[in-house]
Amino acid sequence: MLLPRRAHLPASARVALAVVVLLWLVAACSPLFTERSRSIRLDERLQPPSLEHPCGTDDLGRDLLARIVTATPISLVIGLVAAAVSLGVGFTVGAAAGYFGGAVDLALSRLIEVMLCFPVLFLLLALAAFLPPSPAMVIAAIGLTSWAGDARFARAEILKMKELDYTRAARAMGASTPRILLRHLLPNALPPLIVSAAFGVGWAILAEASLSFLGVGLPAPAVSWGGILSSSANWIEEAWWIALFPGLALFLTVSAYNLLAEGLRTVTTQGGRNA
Amino acid sequence: MTAYILRRLFWAVPTLFGIAVIVFLLLHLAPGSPGAGGADSLRRASGKAAEQMRRQYGLDRPLPEQFAAWIGRVARLDLGESFADHRPVSERILEALPHTLALNGLALFFALALAIPLGVVAGGSPESAFDRASGAVLFAMYSMPTFWAALLLQTLFAVRLRWLPLYGTAADAAPAGLAGLGDRLAHLALPVTCLTYGTLAFVARLVRSGVAEARTADYVIAARARGASRGQALWRHALRNALLPVITLFGLLLPALLSGSVIIERIFAWPGLGRLYLDSILARDYPVILALSLLSAVVTLGATLLSDIAVAAVDPRVRDGAAG
Repeated sequence: MLLPRRAHLPASARVALAVVVLLWLVAACSPLFTERSRSIRLDERLQPPSLEHPCGTDDLGRDLLARIVTATPISLVIGLVAAAVSLGVGFTVGAAAGYFGGAVDLALSRLIEVMLCFPVLFLLLALAAFLPPSPAMVIAAIGLTSWAGDARFARAEILKMKELDYTRAARAMGASTPRILLRHLLPNALPPLIVSAAFGVGWAILAEASLSFLGVGLPAPAVSWGGILSSSANWIEEAWWIALFPGLALFLTVSAYNLLAEGLRTVTTQGGRNA
Repeated sequence: MTAYILRRLFWAVPTLFGIAVIVFLLLHLAPGSPGAGGADSLRRASGKAAEQMRRQYGLDRPLPEQFAAWIGRVARLDLGESFADHRPVSERILEALPHTLALNGLALFFALALAIPLGVVAGGSPESAFDRASGAVLFAMYSMPTFWAALLLQTLFAVRLRWLPLYGTAADAAPAGLAGLGDRLAHLALPVTCLTYGTLAFVARLVRSGVAEARTADYVIAARARGASRGQALWRHALRNALLPVITLFGLLLPALLSGSVIIERIFAWPGLGRLYLDSILARDYPVILALSLLSAVVTLGATLLSDIAVAAVDPRVRDGAAG
């Protein structure tokens, strides 16, 4: 059972879910704006927001709204896939540590501890700068540097569950280890993991934006919200809109995922026990 | 208690070793090293840098030998020589350190000084108007990208209102010593604000949920029954338990602050460790990259150990439990 049957998402989380769906729809339509986002009009550079350019234009006269829309799919896809990678690695490491215990737990727990000691952005920058730049590499860099929190969480969950009656019963009936892990423990660990995955998407989107902002994200012609924000710093005296709108898109996306995660957490912790 | 500390110290040794291995792996991921691949990375690493790498790290030797030699030098506090200006890495780090300490120290202070009272008041009356309002603001802070907040604050306070400087640590014309203090504080205001609010939101939410849970616990109700005022029950009794997770996570606040420092120092042209790290990444200055990664992780490990010991000192359940 994924969620308790009579689970109701709080109103704020339902709004957040609607925003997330809307963002994915925008991402799906974004190819329509690619051409507009690339048309350079030097006679229209640094125009403030107007009816023709609702978010203004950048230093090359390109329409800012079209550029923000064009950047949506990169942000959403990288965020989702990187969070999935991070959760996959984190769950595998954490569940193995929690389930097998003993020497396996000691070794994997040290690994988790090691990863938690590094500032995430330090490792992320090094990986992103040293690996050849591509969406897959950005995803790998984010996924491989941010799994430690998920792992610690999964370990605690599995540790709690493996002594529960249904696990003991399955073991007593002769179920194999993979069967216990996948058929009994994984489904029960799923609700808290989904919550942590939803928070993970928000984090991964921020991580990708940070990389682009610091100049080690995807190379041009890929457009990223972090990249537009980075260039806006050069025009801070002249054009406030270049900083405002892409940041707003980023903030909206990250808060929608975080709000959704909060709502899911409320549902899973309140209904989880007697569901 | 001594047994707990010794056990904790013992388990820090393999973690320390693991940190060294990860940093060593970073070196082998670097372009120009044997482990690196791809035409692009070859193009980036000039022949000269590759030659310097081979010399400084003995990259033509077998891996275990390289690792041992590197660890040996690090243990003697020899962090090597920067590729960028051929000065000792330790010298460059010591130059940047005070700037980062000032920034992060102030940020940590303000985050805790504001988050704890906020958390106690909000958690003391859950679902009150104050709790809902502060909850919404903290949530927004939690989701707000620091670089966006920094750009907006710069636009408002430095460009529009001209109250605060746009970036840097001090004005060129500012006098040294006490007379220039106001100027230096003005330069600190925006970067410290940007570095503070994320940690503040995180800690305040932690304290709030701890206090909200503890306020109905038996020991808090008992304190009320013995005649403690509502405020005393919250601040003396509920807060103590709510602070435990904060102390536990204290060590892990440091790497989060350093991550934030990379972004903030870049925006505000702040010559600290975050800026040094980013510059070294962009210039492929491997000795500095390795030294900073290693140092930050080791300092975090030390801080985590201290947090764990502090938690054990105040919470007998931890020191008597089996948790290693």
